[in-house]
Amino acid sequence: MAYQKPVYNLTYRMLGNAAEAEEAAQETFLRAYTHLGSYDPKRPFRSWLLSIASHYCIDRLRRRRITWLPLEDEIATVDGAAEISPRAQGEGLTPVNLASETPNPETTVVREEREALIQQLLDCLSPTDRAAITLLYWYDCSYKEIAETLDLTVSAVKSRLHRARRALAERIEGETSYAL
Amino acid sequence: MRCEQAGEMMSAWLDDRLDRTEIALLEDHLAGCRACQVEWERLRALDRLLASAPMVSPPVRLRVEVMARLHRRDQARRALFGGTTLALGTVALVSLALAPILLGLLNATGVAPALISGGPATIAQLLSFTGAIGRALLVLAETFAVPLAFLSLCSLALALALNRLWLGAVRRLHTARHTF
Repeated sequence: MAYQKPVYNLTYRMLGNAAEAEEAAQETFLRAYTHLGSYDPKRPFRSWLLSIASHYCIDRLRRRRITWLPLEDEIATVDGAAEISPRAQGEGLTPVNLASETPNPETTVVREEREALIQQLLDCLSPTDRAAITLLYWYDCSYKEIAETLDLTVSAVKSRLHRARRALAERIEGETSYAL
Repeated sequence: MRCEQAGEMMSAWLDDRLDRTEIALLEDHLAGCRACQVEWERLRALDRLLASAPMVSPPVRLRVEVMARLHRRDQARRALFGGTTLALGTVALVSLALAPILLGLLNATGVAPALISGGPATIAQLLSFTGAIGRALLVLAETFAVPLAFLSLCSLALALALNRLWLGAVRRLHTARHTF
């Protein structure tokens, strides 16, 4: 199962905690296995899997609005230097906390704080906007790919991304020490 | 250019979806609009934060858990299918075995002709017949309690053995088809 990491990362970014993300990733693979007959080979397999995961998480987040869930959950572990997101690689970013494979406690704390901040930011978005932002930043998907994955039009994706970024940018004010 | 349009273009610029002319237009607007400059800096800070975050690694048990759930689900389906098939087969066999006896009894007691021809005496005859069958069953149970219990246990053991053979055959067939 070479797709464990992309699927789990998506479910984690969408749901915000490790326990739910793991359950959602498991469910994604089970659904993919069950509906393997409906997979169109012309479509990239990863995109199909991410679509299943996205829709599952969106449904779950919508249900969560009427179901009480614990707020305190463990922060998932994060990989080392080899797993910078595609956009970061494109921009030549080498964050200080990813520079070493054996991070010291200080960098671990910075990393965990950054992860917590990112999840806080993502939590303020609607489920579909959260999926769009996640697919853009962690999977380097084009607008068209995001639209296909989430069953939206390209113009809807553009508008959602713009709206989501503005909402996140407003919230990030005061937290720029992480970002700069 | 209006600020709203500039905002949409900022988002597109972050995604490298602006041509040179559009970038020049946006830069002109930014040079003369303090509010948009602030928004642009916020958006860039957000972009750097999200782009620097790595993919989250799944727990090592994810693959094992998925395979275990698939296995359990397949077992449950096979058991349900096998059990249903056996139950239906048993009912069919018992029905076939009892049909001649029941038909004989119905004819002998005159219930069958009464049911066919109809009439007010039919219900009384049917009740009488049911009572007779009940009494006969009680006598049979008292007389042949031990053999009947033995027969039931044998049937149960046979059903279990057949079920196990069935599951084994399905599993071997499944393993041969899918080398997952």
